Amino acid sequence: MITRPTTDMLIEDCCRELMEGILPGLTDETLRLRLVMTETVLRNAAVRAAHEIAWMREETAALLAYAGRVAARHGSEPLRATLADAEAGPADSHLADTEAGPADSHLADTEAGPADSLHLADVADVYERAGQAFAAALAAAQQAGDADLVAQARELLRDRIATEKEVMATYAVVGR
Amino acid sequence: MDALGSRFERFLAAVEPDRAGRVIACEAITGGYSRISARARVRWRGGAEETFILRGDPPPGSGVFTSDRDAEWDLLAALPAATSVSTPVTRWYDRSGAYLGSKAIVMDCAAAVSLQDQMARAADAGRLADLFVDTFAAVHQTPLDRLPARMPRPTDGPAYLDGVLANYDRMAGAYPGSAPVLRYVTWWARAHQPPPVPLGLVHGDCQPSNVLVGPSGPPLVIDWEFAHIGDPREDLGYYTQIPLEPNVYWADPERFLRRYRAATHLTEDQVNRQVVEYFLIIGMAALLEQLLAAAAAIGDAERPGILAPYLVNAISHQYGMFLAICDRLS
Repeated sequence: MITRPTTDMLIEDCCRELMEGILPGLTDETLRLRLVMTETVLRNAAVRAAHEIAWMREETAALLAYAGRVAARHGSEPLRATLADAEAGPADSHLADTEAGPADSHLADTEAGPADSLHLADVADVYERAGQAFAAALAAAQQAGDADLVAQARELLRDRIATEKEVMATYAVVGR
Repeated sequence: MDALGSRFERFLAAVEPDRAGRVIACEAITGGYSRISARARVRWRGGAEETFILRGDPPPGSGVFTSDRDAEWDLLAALPAATSVSTPVTRWYDRSGAYLGSKAIVMDCAAAVSLQDQMARAADAGRLADLFVDTFAAVHQTPLDRLPARMPRPTDGPAYLDGVLANYDRMAGAYPGSAPVLRYVTWWARAHQPPPVPLGLVHGDCQPSNVLVGPSGPPLVIDWEFAHIGDPREDLGYYTQIPLEPNVYWADPERFLRRYRAATHLTEDQVNRQVVEYFLIIGMAALLEQLLAAAAAIGDAERPGILAPYLVNAISHQYGMFLAICDRLS
């Protein structure tokens, strides 16, 4: 695989092409607006491409650790089940899909994939499950009136928003 | 003249067969996030000319924000008799979209400019801020029994609020990526409900850009597509996040709220800065759901268009605002 330019560099180069090579030649106001929006989306995608797997993995670990702490203190059976599901890894691994031959396809559909898969779809799947485990744990902490655990959850959400702000890059909120 | 102009001319032939209307100009109005709008100039037999605004649905499967054009038409038809606020003069409705390509409302084009533009030009926007507050206070006091029967009517303010928070719970279930933030915010919002107020007509896109002012006559309130019966403080909360400068709420929140309370006879417990912040969370619920649905549709065969990925950032932005509100008001 050609390692350089990296994906984010390729996307950023496309952004420059759009803004410097194409936008000046567009006169239709609607098309200009759509192109500017497209460039913003691509710029966000460049940031995500560079970091999203690491970000999701890091946050997944933090979310699961939180859910584990809540389960230890206020564990209910549904919470433990949600946590176990999240820790099991992706349900339908991308790796299994791509490497399985036709004879193995049924197996690939039903077997859980490796929990440490770095394929983006797997990482995102595990991340979403960890988010659900976190939400269940938060509900348990709230129900128990455990202010300390609720405050810990708030800190994790603060970190999540900080990451999302990094992704937003040059996006500016505009009126409509 | 573009294709829409030709279609509009055929529509006019159907609704005004004796007047031989010719569309002599038709141009798109850019800037809106939801409807497709155009301004058309028509010359009738005998030489009289009129300008109309065409407000239609985007093509099926495109766009991010959806609303019910039939409901908007019914509301626009009811409002002149229901409220002291002036609303666009509606002329015709292509109810099936057979002529204009999608369901579209045709209104008179008012000789007016947006209140937002006037505020931006004013050395002192105070008087215009008062006009804005008074206008929406009047909207909120519209007698509900004069509104179309088809508008959903919650039983009371607390029931309405419960419904919005239940919707957030539903969104958290439907969009797992958003569950952590939405579960937290919903829990917080249930624990911090402000004192109730009577239900009112909520505009749903409360901002000075949706108020037109002319050289004479009362201001005209436009863009009613998200109007509903709910808690009128939603409109105040919604306006706080409008980024267009000047935002006359943030320019002087106490003045803004004093005037609103005086106009609506609500108490300071019911309407204050904290309550308005709370209602930003409530007032954004419907639009947030549409943003989430559009984001989920990215990659589908019938893609929602570039606005959907562009507005993924708006979801992040809203979550940041929501959590900051929880922190400030806790």
